[in-house]
Amino acid sequence: MTQAIVQLDRITKSFGAFRALHEINLDVRHGEILTLLGPSGCGKTTLMRIVAGFEQPSTGRILIDGADMVGVPPERRPVNMVFQRYALFPHLDVFDNIAFGLRLKRLPAAEIRTSVRKILELVQMQDLSDRWINQLSGGQAQRVALARALVNRPAVLLLDEPLAALDLKIRQHMVTELKRIHTETGTTFIYVTHDQDEAMMLSDRIVLMNQGRIEQIGSPESMYAAPDSLFAAQFLGDTNLLPARVVSVNGMVARCDIGIGAVDVPAKGLAAGNEVTLSVRPETIVLSADGVAPPGPSFRGKVRDLAFIGNRIVYWVTLENGQTLRCQEARTVAGLRFQAHAPVRASWPVEANVVLEG
Amino acid sequence: MLRAYVWLYVAVLFGPLFLIVLFSFHSTPAQYFPMQGLSIIWYEKFFENHVLVESMRRSIIVAVSSTIITTVIGSMAALALARLQGWAKSAFGTITFAPVALPGLFIGISLLTLFSQLGINRSLVTVALAHVLISLPFFIEASRSRLEYFDLSLEEAARDLGASAWDSFRLVTLPIIAPTLIGAAILSFAISFDEVIVTIFASGSETTLPIAVWSMMRQAMTPAINAASVLALSCVMLLIVSFALAGWLHRRRKLDRRKAFNDGAGA
Repeated sequence: MTQAIVQLDRITKSFGAFRALHEINLDVRHGEILTLLGPSGCGKTTLMRIVAGFEQPSTGRILIDGADMVGVPPERRPVNMVFQRYALFPHLDVFDNIAFGLRLKRLPAAEIRTSVRKILELVQMQDLSDRWINQLSGGQAQRVALARALVNRPAVLLLDEPLAALDLKIRQHMVTELKRIHTETGTTFIYVTHDQDEAMMLSDRIVLMNQGRIEQIGSPESMYAAPDSLFAAQFLGDTNLLPARVVSVNGMVARCDIGIGAVDVPAKGLAAGNEVTLSVRPETIVLSADGVAPPGPSFRGKVRDLAFIGNRIVYWVTLENGQTLRCQEARTVAGLRFQAHAPVRASWPVEANVVLEG
Repeated sequence: MLRAYVWLYVAVLFGPLFLIVLFSFHSTPAQYFPMQGLSIIWYEKFFENHVLVESMRRSIIVAVSSTIITTVIGSMAALALARLQGWAKSAFGTITFAPVALPGLFIGISLLTLFSQLGINRSLVTVALAHVLISLPFFIEASRSRLEYFDLSLEEAARDLGASAWDSFRLVTLPIIAPTLIGAAILSFAISFDEVIVTIFASGSETTLPIAVWSMMRQAMTPAINAASVLALSCVMLLIVSFALAGWLHRRRKLDRRKAFNDGAGA
């Protein structure tokens, strides 16, 4: 049995009349990468700052490693943070930045040197220990910030949008680096981001937040495949939202009217007459040439527009009722199968329909 | 063209300074070209002139003590100002800078009145206090523009790494803002060192260098004054150079120790 390393128990936070967090309950497991994901202003940063000790919750309890942390200042919490713009000390060089925490613990000089050397090797910066901070590139500064936090062997490493200031190429590289460093150290990571791609690539679990509340918690795959809400479906990846009405329920399958015809969806919890929204991911839609009827229900439309993105192609298909579907397929040797204005048929399997409330 | 402009700018800025240094080594009292030979006679003359030496000593005492007081009060005020928000910030900012617009004459007279009301005898102490009053707005204004850019997340980072509030000020905030504060302190020193108007009102029987020089110049200009200026200038430059040298040596020794450790561990 693995006990939670961080337990948040009915945390609320108000700034004046503004409620930043509503009754947040969350357990962070030993050794996982947990991402707090959400749009700006959703409360993810406030929640992290409460764990770090920079903010006090208005009500509720935080336990870290079983100890109550309410009222404990940041310097006496077993967590360390990587700041959004790194917050490296400009008056110290790389070595002294990393040694900062160890020196405050009054460790012997030889031990500090050994620890700093090891952590510099971990982040692959061993040759740059004498550099000043303003001589580092963004990616290097990021590594130093990671090393400065990790060298203290925190129970939990907090990362506040650490890749937001980096170029796309370096960002993708740093994601794999973070994964490697996580595997090598086994430290629990709490990672704050508004970037769904980062969240999906990195996380063991995603905590999706919106307006101070947790919308959904789950693995990236389960959350992508089975969003609980309209918000979750739209925030994680692209999707098509179709208003629908349940016509009949027959065992495991419910038939829904989507305006231009009927589709079958998983019946779970539905009754005839329900107004729902269907979420259909673009990559689940199969396009075929008009005239070739695929098995199951299909809908006629015209390619309104298309985008060629190298390994994949996105088609926007306008159906006969005016609704536009976003459809995506992997590029094959066939290349572009349809040109703009081409008449096509769109269809998708029963399981591709995710039923969302109203 | 731009290059020529820069040279002209430098010449205008440092020309007079250069002339003072040059004529302080002139063998005659003449303050014009052509020069008729070099000597250190004016330095001898300066040290023989009891009034000049004594007033310079007083000026240094006053400037150093007023600079210390200004730096302590001023840096606290500037740090507070950088953290204030909204209307309090603009109100506080205006109030601290407003005295600059007040003519020295008024400040001098009001200080004179204040000291006599309180029954304080005028001395070098009152001069130093008056100089604090004058240099404080300049100190705050010179340092706050840089302190506004101070990244408060640096203090949070220090706390996060285990520093108490005091440690994070001592180990992070202070070293980072030190160059700014030193710059503002040098400005305060300079303001105090050559202040005349308010000093006349605030001083008792003991005068400072500018006032001594001023009263001497009404009779005759002596190049011993040039020598005095050059001595003051050299003191400041010596101080700056020795600070820079100490910093450089410290860094060298640290890197050497680190290298020795790594070589030992790698072998």
